[in-house]
Formats: sequence, C-alpha cells, structure tokens
Amino acid sequence: MITKKIACPSCKHKFNIQVNPGEKVTVSCPQCHTQGIFRFPDMTKTIDTSSYSLQISNLSKTYKDVRAVNNLSLQVRKGEIFGLLGPNGAGKTTTIKAILGLIRRDDGTITINGFDSIKDDIEARKKVGYLPERVSFYENLTPIQTLNFFCELRGVDKSIVEPLISEVGLEEAKHRKVGTFSKGMVQLLGVAQVQLGNPSIYILDEPMGGLDARWVKTIREKIRMLNKRGATVILSSHILSEVEQVCDRVAIIKKGSVIAQDTVANLNNYLHIKPRLEILIQGLQGRIPKILQQMEGITALDVQEDRLFVTCDSSLKSDVITALKEAGFKVIDIKITEPSLEDAFIKLIEGGA
Amino acid sequence: MAGFSIKSVYAMAKKEFMDNIRNKWFILLTILFVLLIFAFSYLAGGQTGGDNVLGDMQTTVFGLLDISSLLIPLIAIILGFSTISGEDESGALNVVLSYPIRRIEVLLGKLFGLGSVIILSILLGFGIGGIVIAATVGTEDFAGYFYFILLSIFLAFIYLSLAICISAYCKRRITSIGGGIIVFFWGMIYGTVILGILLGTGYSFSDFQSGNLPDWFFNSVVFSPGDMYQTAVQRAFGVDTIEVTGFSVTIPEFLSMPLLLLTHFIWFIVPLILAYVFFKRRDL
Repeated sequence: MITKKIACPSCKHKFNIQVNPGEKVTVSCPQCHTQGIFRFPDMTKTIDTSSYSLQISNLSKTYKDVRAVNNLSLQVRKGEIFGLLGPNGAGKTTTIKAILGLIRRDDGTITINGFDSIKDDIEARKKVGYLPERVSFYENLTPIQTLNFFCELRGVDKSIVEPLISEVGLEEAKHRKVGTFSKGMVQLLGVAQVQLGNPSIYILDEPMGGLDARWVKTIREKIRMLNKRGATVILSSHILSEVEQVCDRVAIIKKGSVIAQDTVANLNNYLHIKPRLEILIQGLQGRIPKILQQMEGITALDVQEDRLFVTCDSSLKSDVITALKEAGFKVIDIKITEPSLEDAFIKLIEGGA
Repeated sequence: MAGFSIKSVYAMAKKEFMDNIRNKWFILLTILFVLLIFAFSYLAGGQTGGDNVLGDMQTTVFGLLDISSLLIPLIAIILGFSTISGEDESGALNVVLSYPIRRIEVLLGKLFGLGSVIILSILLGFGIGGIVIAATVGTEDFAGYFYFILLSIFLAFIYLSLAICISAYCKRRITSIGGGIIVFFWGMIYGTVILGILLGTGYSFSDFQSGNLPDWFFNSVVFSPGDMYQTAVQRAFGVDTIEVTGFSVTIPEFLSMPLLLLTHFIWFIVPLILAYVFFKRRDL
C-alpha cells in the first residue's frame, strides 16, 4: 500500500490517501467533501541488470568446527525476485543472518544498496525488511503496539500501521495481546511488519511456513505486488513450486556454497533437463515406433499400452508428433511435462551437475 | 559514540516498559512488596510503643531492609535474566536487530525500560508506604527515607545489570535461569560464607557478638551488593552502631557513604560493560 498526497481539484486542500498500485478508489475531500475517483498507476516491473541490490563475495562462517557457509558469492539485481534454495542445513539462513549482521562472519564482504554491511551497517539496514522463518514478537503487546514500536525503530510514520493490520486480516485481533495469537496469526503480523517503511529490499525466510492455502496465495500475490512497486525480493523457501512461480532467478546452495545461480529455464538448459511428452496413440499396444528410435535428440523412450513417453530436446517436440503422424500413427492426445525447478534442484543436490 | 541514536534507545526502552509492566510475576511481586511495607510498618508501630499504629520511618526501614534486599534483586533478576537469551531463542531479537539499530542502543533501551518498571514498583511500594507513614506518624527522618528509596533503585539497577549480563552471556533461556539463581542466592548465602571464614580463621562467636572483628570482615561487604546496600541505608539514616539483641557492631569509618556509592557504581557498570561485550560478540 502506498501513501499518496493529493490536492482536491475544487478547494486545493491537500491530504493523504492510501492506495495500492493499479487500484481505483473513490476519494472524498475532508474539507469541501467533493468526491472524485483516483487511480494510482499500475507499476511495471523493471529489473536493472546493471546494478545490484545485494552483492556477497567470498562469505565464510564457521560455527565451532562446522563450516556453515563456505566462500559463498552471489549477486541480486535491483528489482528482481531472487530465490535462495538448498536442502536443510545448506547455509541459507546463515547467509541471510550474515546479510543482516545478526552473526559475525569469518570472511568475505557484503554490500546492500551499495553500503558495506559492517562499516555502514545502519545505512545498509535502513531499507531492508526482514521476515524470519521463526518469527516471534512480544507477548504482552498488541499488534498495534508491536508495529508502532517497529515504526519508531525505522523512523517512519505510524499512520500505515492500522491499514497494514487490516490488510493481513488481523483487524479483529488488533487489540489482543500477541501472546494469545496462533502461529499463523503471528506469521501474518510478521508480513505486516516487513512492509513498514516501504523497504527497497525484502528478505523473506520461508514466508509461507505455517500458513493455510488461502494466505499462501495472498502472500504470493503480495510478493509480486511489492516487486512490481520496484522492490527487490530475496526469498528462501523449501516449497520449490512456490519459488518457481514467483522467482526471476534462483541460487542453489549446497554445503555452504552456491552451486548454481541463474533463471529456472537456464538452469534446466545447463543441466540438460529435457521436456517429457506423453502421447496417447490409438492401437499402439505396447510397441515403440521405429521412426522415433532412429531420430536424433531423443534421450528416452518408454511405452505403456497405448501411451508413449518421449524425452527429447525442446525443439524436437513438434517434429516427434509430425513424424508419428507421417508414419501413420493416430495421435489422440498429447501432454507435455516441462522440466521443473524441482528437477534441476534434485539433479544439482544429488551432484548431477 | 558516532551516530548514537537516543531515539532508538527511547523506542526500545518504551517497548520494554510496555511489555514488562504486564509481566504477571512482576505484578505479583509488586503487590507483595506493597503489602510487606504496610506489614513491616505496622510491626514497627508495635515496637516503638507509641500511640501510632504505624512505626516511624527509620524503624520501618530497618525492619524492611532484609526483605527489600531480597525482593528488589528478585524482581530485577526476573525481569532481566532472559531479556537477550530468551528473545534470541524466540527469534524476536532477530527482527529487532534487522532494523537500523545498534546493539548498544538495544542494550541501553533494555536497561532503562526494565529499570523504569522496577522504579515504578519501588515508588509504588516505598512511595505509598512513605506517604502513609509521613501522614500518620510524621516526617522525621524523611531525608533518610528519601535516600533509602534512591539506594533501593540503585540496588535494582545493580541486579538488573547483572541479570542482563547473564542474559547476554548465556546462549539459552534455561542456562540464564541457572545464572539468575546463582546471583540471587549469592546475596543470600554470602553472610553465612563470611561468618564461616571468620570462625575458620581463629575468631570465636563471642568475638562476633562483642564486635571484636578484623577489618577484612567489614571490607568484605563490598562483595555483596545486598549487604552493601543495607550498610549504605544505615549510613543514610546516620546510624553508626547496629544493635540487635546480644549484638553490637559499629560500622567502621572507612565504610563511608562515598566509598559505598562508588562500590555500588562499580557493581553496576562492570556487569553492564561485560553485557555489551558479550552481546556485541553474540551470533543470533
């Protein structure tokens, strides 16, 4: 939600309204009561490929005798949604904590919006919103008191607090102590908290954890909306389908190091993960067509009664269907399974790269 | 300190105050505190043998010293023992420190916020008690009573500083509880330990009763904030000799008020500096 100062066209009185990008609202002037419709322009997503919101170089961190992060380097471009993936214990949370200065790193440099995260730590954190995996607030405070406190820490106007509480669906609980909240409600308060002061970088560690499907969808849309407004989002999640749906690029971390960093499509190309065709052919009866056995670019062929499974280069999909038709086969149905992030993730983690 | 933000310290202190003022243990102990003041004041009234039901300020305070040097540390430890380790464990501190705030600002905010909660408790207890006694018995020794309140606040800050130090050092809340218990019981058993050393070094119980004691016995008071506080309160009322049935002990001159205040300050500042060092180095 954006706070916008507008001037009444009749009396020229200036006042604030709160509106989402692309939203159309009916506004009434508090002075002359003239009504009008205001539409805030929908923001177009732009990724600045020449500058970075976050740069990590050769980050290392050891806990006693465990090397949690090992010479890790990555760059997050301005305006992109960047996914941080890895199995449990890979070093994702340690990396996030190092970015925020919550842990002391052994080696390496981190730059946030151009500020060194140690030398200019306060400046670096001024425009960062963080939602931890295990979010917790103060039991004896209400949601309003909690968010007011964080507004004071960031030095921003508190007028945004109540609209944010309503936005995350905690309107009815706004005077209750946070100590009486369920895990999901605390997570929603965390989602409200992270938006205070309109940060330019959001670091979200498993933001959908503990939420039901309705709120998962809401948060997914929220991430897209924040990104459309120009914010950079760094998202750590173990739900690969979620990451695949929202992220522009991903980094896969294994044993404290980045083993791959690219778009999902590029990762699949790089890993030679190919689409799979499932073709229903009338009267096939378990036979593999000879025409396909001779075709180059097909890496796997399998058959179950009238169903033929073909794994091939992406560019060959239509050639396969044409060849089958020309050979006299009657194609009834086609299903294409494109390579997923999960395929790339498993291949990388299992050492298939 | 460059860029130190008073606003951040204030925001942190306000949050600590609002969160802890509703702490059920704090509320229970404060109620107990107020009730005990009236009970001791009533008992002191019986001791003075006058017409008044409530005793005068000095008699009430001396009756109260043992209980206040127990309850004030207890409240401070309960408020402070897990303020860092507990919030680290729950994850709340991660969110706070992701904002543009320095660790020193968080630490001082916690100290002042929790300190304000204890000051409120002390003012409620001793303040209301003092007003009632002043109204019914008179304002004699009012200055001493005022110093007694200030010294009680000082004692609270010493234990708060110790509790925050424990909290900054311990990784987990459960180990902080252990640290808090050790600090609390140190104050309780210290007298017995020193008496044991006295008897073990050739002195007899009759020496103790007659006040024939070595200098180190008196000097050792500086190792126990509770005993130090009691001595300072007695000094504040201008009392040099403590007489209890069968005992008569004169407080030596070198245990002067400035020395006692300086020792109070050292007990406060050293744990606070250590707390900052531990907190600064802490991985969350």
